Amino acid sequence: MSKAAKPWIKSEQKSGFRAARLSLLLSSAGIAFGVVQAGAAARLLAALLHVQQGGLAVWGSAAVFICAVLVRAWLQVRAERGNFELGAAARRRLRGQVLGVLMALGPAGLRGRHSAELAATAVDRVEAMDGFHARWVPATGLAIIGPALIGLVALLTDWRSGLILVIAGLCVPFAMAVAGIGAGIAAKKQFLAMTRLQVRFVDRIRGISSIVLAGRMEDEAKALATAAKELRERTMRVLRVAFLSSTALDLAAAAALVLIVIRFVPVLRGAHELAPTALFLVLLVPEFFAPLRGFAAVYGDRMAVEAVAEEFQALPEAPPPVPPVHIRSVAAHGVTLAFEHVTFAWDEARPVLENLSLKVGRGEMLLLTGASGAGKSTVIDLILGFLAPRSGRITINGATLEDLVPAARTRMLGWIGQKPVIFAGTIEENIRFANPAASEDELQDAIRNAHLEELIASLPQGIKTPLGEGGFGVSGGQAQRIAIARAFLKDAPLLLLDEPTSHLDPAVERDILESLKHLSAGRTVVLATHSSQAMEIAKTVGAKRIDLDALRYASWRGVVA
Amino acid sequence: MNPVMRIVLLWARNPGWLFLALLLSLWALATGVVLMGLSGHVLALAVAGGALVVPALLEWTGTARVVLRYAERVVGHEAIFRALAEIRVWMFRGLALSAAGGLGLRRSGDALARLVNDVDTLDGLFLRIFLPLLGALLLVPMLVWALTREHGLALLVLLPFCFVAFFIPWRAARAAEEGAGKAGLAMASLRTAVLDALHGLREVKIFAAEGRMLAEVQAREAQLLAAQRELAAEAAKLNAIAFIVAQGGILLAIVLGFFGLPVAAVAAVLVLTAAFEAVLGLPRAGLLYGQARKAAARVVQAAEAGPPVPEPVTPAPMPSRNAIAFEHVSFRYAADRPWVFENLSLQLPEGSRTAVLGPSGAGKSTIAALMLKLAQPVGGQIRFGGVDIAQLPAEALRHRIAYLGQTTHLFADTIRNNLLLGDPAADDAKLWDALEAVQLADMVSALPGGLDSWLGEGGATVSGGQGRRLALARTLLMNAPVILLDEPCAGLDAATEQEFFRVFNTATEGKTVFLILHRLTGVEHLDRIWRFTGGTLVAAAG
Repeated sequence: MSKAAKPWIKSEQKSGFRAARLSLLLSSAGIAFGVVQAGAAARLLAALLHVQQGGLAVWGSAAVFICAVLVRAWLQVRAERGNFELGAAARRRLRGQVLGVLMALGPAGLRGRHSAELAATAVDRVEAMDGFHARWVPATGLAIIGPALIGLVALLTDWRSGLILVIAGLCVPFAMAVAGIGAGIAAKKQFLAMTRLQVRFVDRIRGISSIVLAGRMEDEAKALATAAKELRERTMRVLRVAFLSSTALDLAAAAALVLIVIRFVPVLRGAHELAPTALFLVLLVPEFFAPLRGFAAVYGDRMAVEAVAEEFQALPEAPPPVPPVHIRSVAAHGVTLAFEHVTFAWDEARPVLENLSLKVGRGEMLLLTGASGAGKSTVIDLILGFLAPRSGRITINGATLEDLVPAARTRMLGWIGQKPVIFAGTIEENIRFANPAASEDELQDAIRNAHLEELIASLPQGIKTPLGEGGFGVSGGQAQRIAIARAFLKDAPLLLLDEPTSHLDPAVERDILESLKHLSAGRTVVLATHSSQAMEIAKTVGAKRIDLDALRYASWRGVVA
Repeated sequence: MNPVMRIVLLWARNPGWLFLALLLSLWALATGVVLMGLSGHVLALAVAGGALVVPALLEWTGTARVVLRYAERVVGHEAIFRALAEIRVWMFRGLALSAAGGLGLRRSGDALARLVNDVDTLDGLFLRIFLPLLGALLLVPMLVWALTREHGLALLVLLPFCFVAFFIPWRAARAAEEGAGKAGLAMASLRTAVLDALHGLREVKIFAAEGRMLAEVQAREAQLLAAQRELAAEAAKLNAIAFIVAQGGILLAIVLGFFGLPVAAVAAVLVLTAAFEAVLGLPRAGLLYGQARKAAARVVQAAEAGPPVPEPVTPAPMPSRNAIAFEHVSFRYAADRPWVFENLSLQLPEGSRTAVLGPSGAGKSTIAALMLKLAQPVGGQIRFGGVDIAQLPAEALRHRIAYLGQTTHLFADTIRNNLLLGDPAADDAKLWDALEAVQLADMVSALPGGLDSWLGEGGATVSGGQGRRLALARTLLMNAPVILLDEPCAGLDAATEQEFFRVFNTATEGKTVFLILHRLTGVEHLDRIWRFTGGTLVAAAG
C-alpha cells in the first residue's frame, strides 16, 4: 500500500464511525436485551430442574423471554436497515466527489486517461466501499462494545466466571493481532506475485481475441492452469496463518465455556440457589463471542478498501476554484477574438505554439491550417478554456479570457469537433442537450437548419427514437448533423469548428460543409481543418487564413510572426 | 440444465478435496453441538445432585472442535481454489472458442472483465451456501435421535428448526433473484450515465451541462440504491423472522421439558442453541444463492456459446500461395438486419500493399472478421491461395494472416512473454531483432529488467505509440506472409500515427499488406487504395 492511501483510509474510517453512532447504539441495546433474554432462559431452565419455585415466576420468566426476543428482533431490523443507509450515504458522497473532480478537470485535465477506466472508478470502485461503511465499521464498533458490556454483566454476576470470560475475550484481539501480523508478513512476501497472478486471469480474458488470433489458445489455457495452481499455493500459505486468528476465537470460546462449567460443577452440589447463575453464565458465552465472530467475518471488506484507496489516490487533483476577483462580463453579441503573443507547451522542450498573435473581427471567419499535430486543436482548446496559455493572453472583446465569468464565457462559445458524442437518450434529448429550455419552435428551426428532418422521418419512433448506448446507431454524417442542430439551438456568437469533416466521405462532407456555412453566417468563426473542400468553402466567405506550419517555420528562421 | 448444477458438475471433476472439506465441516459442526449438549448435561446433573461426569470428555470435545474448525477452513479453501482453477480454465477455453469473433473484435474488454467478477461470485457458492446447507441437513437426523431419546413430543421442535434452516433460505433465494435482476438493471443504467458524462465531457462542458449530467447520475444512483434497499429490507425481515422462530423453538423445548426428563431437557436446550446458531446464517446464504444463480447463468451462457464459424469436417491442406480474393461476398449480422455489404469483390495479390479507407462504423472491420474466420459470409466466398477458406482450419489460416487491430492487447506480463505470444520458439536474438525492426530496442535495453521488465500494473509503462509498436513487433514475430492491420493507431495523435507507419513500412517489406483505416497519414507505402462507402469499394486516388 502506498503512503498516500493511508491517510485517506484513516479519514474514511473516522467519518464512518461518526456516522455509525446511532446504529451502534441500536446494536448495543440489542446486546443488552440479549443479556436479559439469557437471564430469563436461565431462570426457566432452573425451574425445569426443580431448583426454583414454579408457578407465577415461571410465567414471568417466559414473558420476559418472549418480550426480549421480540425487542431484539426489532432492534436487529432497525440496525440492519441503518447500516444499509450508512453504506448508501458513503457511496453517494464518494461518487459525488469523484465525479465533481473529474468534471472540474475537464477534457484537457483527463488527457491520456481512458473514460471507461474513470467510469469504472466512479461506479465499481465506489460500490466496493459499501462493505467498509455498511459492514466493517458497525461490526468493528460492536466487537468492542458488545464483549465489554457482557463482560461487565458477567463480572457483576459472578466475578470468577466474569474473569474467565474477560481474559478469554482479551486473548482474542491479542491472538488476532499476532496472527494478523504473521499473515501480514506472509502476505507481504507473496503480495507482488499474488497481485500479478490475480490480474493475469482478468487480463488474459480481456485480451482473449489477441490470443485466439495468434493461434495460442491451448498454450495459454495450460499456462492459466499453472498460474491458478501457483496462486492457490501462495494464497493458502497466507491463509493458513490468517485462519489462526479465527482459531484463536474458537479456542477462547470453547475454553471459556469449559472453564465456566468446571468452575460451577463442584460448588453446585448442595448449593442449588447458584443454578440460575451458572446457567445464565453458560448462556452468555455464545452472546459474548458473537460480536467478535461478526468482526472476523468482515475482514475481507476491510482488505478491499486498500485497493480502492490506491485508485482514489491515482485520480488527478481537482483544479483550484476560479478566484472571484477581477471577473468581468462583456457584451455577448458580436464577438472579436484576439491572441496576443500566446505560447503553449505540454513540456518545456517541445512548445506547441510559440508567440502566436491573431485577431478575428466580429462576424469574420479564420481558417486555421497546418499538418496534424501542428497545434490546431490546441488553439481551439485554449479558446474553450480547457487549456491555459503559458504566456501571453487571449481576449474576447478586449477582456482576458480568464477574467470572464465562466458561465458567461460558456454561453458565448459554440463548438463542433471531429466526432460528436451521442448520449444515451432520444434524438430530441440529444439536440436539446445544447439548451434544455428551448421552445418547440426553436427546436424545429434547429432541426430544419441542420437538415435533420429526413433522418427523423426515417427513424422508427421519429424524434423520440433512442440513440447512443443500446439505441439506434447513426452514421458519422448524421451525428455531425445533430451537432450542427445543437449549435443552432445554442446560438452562440463565437463558433469553433475543429476538423468537423475529417471523418466523413467526400459526398457527405460537401453537404455538411454547406450546413456549416449556413450556421456560420453572422458569427465569428474559427475553422481548423486540412480538408481542401473545407478550405474552398472558407474562401467563398472571405476567411483569413493562418498556416501554423508556416508560422513555426518562420519562427525557426528568426522571423517574428 | 440449471446453471448452478452445471458449475457443481465442473467442481465434481475434483471430488477428493471437496469431499474431505465436507466431511471436516460436518464433523466440526457435530462436535460443536455435542460440546454444548455435554456442557448442559454436566451442569444439569450437578444441579440434580448426580455423579460428577468426567470434565475430561468436555475438554476433549472442546479441543477437537477447535482443531476441526481450523482444518475445515484450510481444507475448504484449498478445495474451492482447486475448483475455481478448473472453472477458470474451462471458461477461458469456452470464451476462446465462442466469443473471439463476437466479443473480441469489439471494445468489450470491460464486459469480459465483468464476467470474471461473476466467476469470483461462484466461489461463495460452496463455502457459504453448500457447506452450511449440508450441515443443516445432517443436523436433522442428529436432532431426531437426540430428541426422541427424551420424549416423542420433542420432535415438535424440529418444525421451527426446519423452518429456519430450509424454508426461509428458499424464500430468500427467490426474493434475491428478482431483486438482483432489478439492481443489475439499475447498475447498468448508472454505468451508462457515468460513461456518457465522462466520454462526452467536452460536450458537457461546452453546453454547460455539468449540473444536468450530475443530476442524471444521481437519479440513476437513487434508483440503484432503492433496488438495493428493497433487497436489504427483505433480508433484514427474513433474518428477524428466523431469529424469532429459532428462539421460539428453544422456548418450546423448555416447555416440553416440563413434561419430560428435566436433565435431558437442559441439554436439549443447549443443543438447540448451538444448532440454531449454525443455521441462522442460512437466510443470508439464500440471498447469496439467488445472486450466484444469476452469475452462474451468465458464465455458463458465455462459456458454452459455441464457435461462430463451424470448422470444416475434412479440412483441405493449406495452399502454398498466399493471395487473398473476396468473390461476390455478402454479409449481414442477422436476417432482419440490413446488409453490411453485398456482392463485394476484392483482390489482394501476393506481395501487394492495399488499403481500404472509410468512415468508422461503416463495416470495414467486418472485412477483417470474415478474412480471419471470425464470421461467415452469407453469400459468395473468400479464397486464400485459391482455396475457399470455409474448407481451411481457422487456426492454420490465422497463422498465415497476422492481425493487428485497435483491440490488440498488451498483456500485464513481461515484455518477453508479450512477444513470445507471436512466436513461442523465438530465442533472445530473434526477439531483439523484432524490437530493432520496430525501433524499440533502445527503449527496452534501457529498462532495468530488459526483456523481462514487467508491463502494466506495477511495472514499466510504455507510451501509446511504443505500445502499438510493441504489438507490431509481436505481429511480425508470427512471421506470417500476410499482415492485416485494422485501425492500429486508433486513439493516438497524428504525429505518433505517422511515426508508427514509417516504422511499419520498412518492417513489412516484401509481405502482403492489407490496411483498414479511416484516413491515411500520408506516409504509408501503398499500391492500391480503396474507399469503402455505402457497402461498396471505390478506387481512390493514391
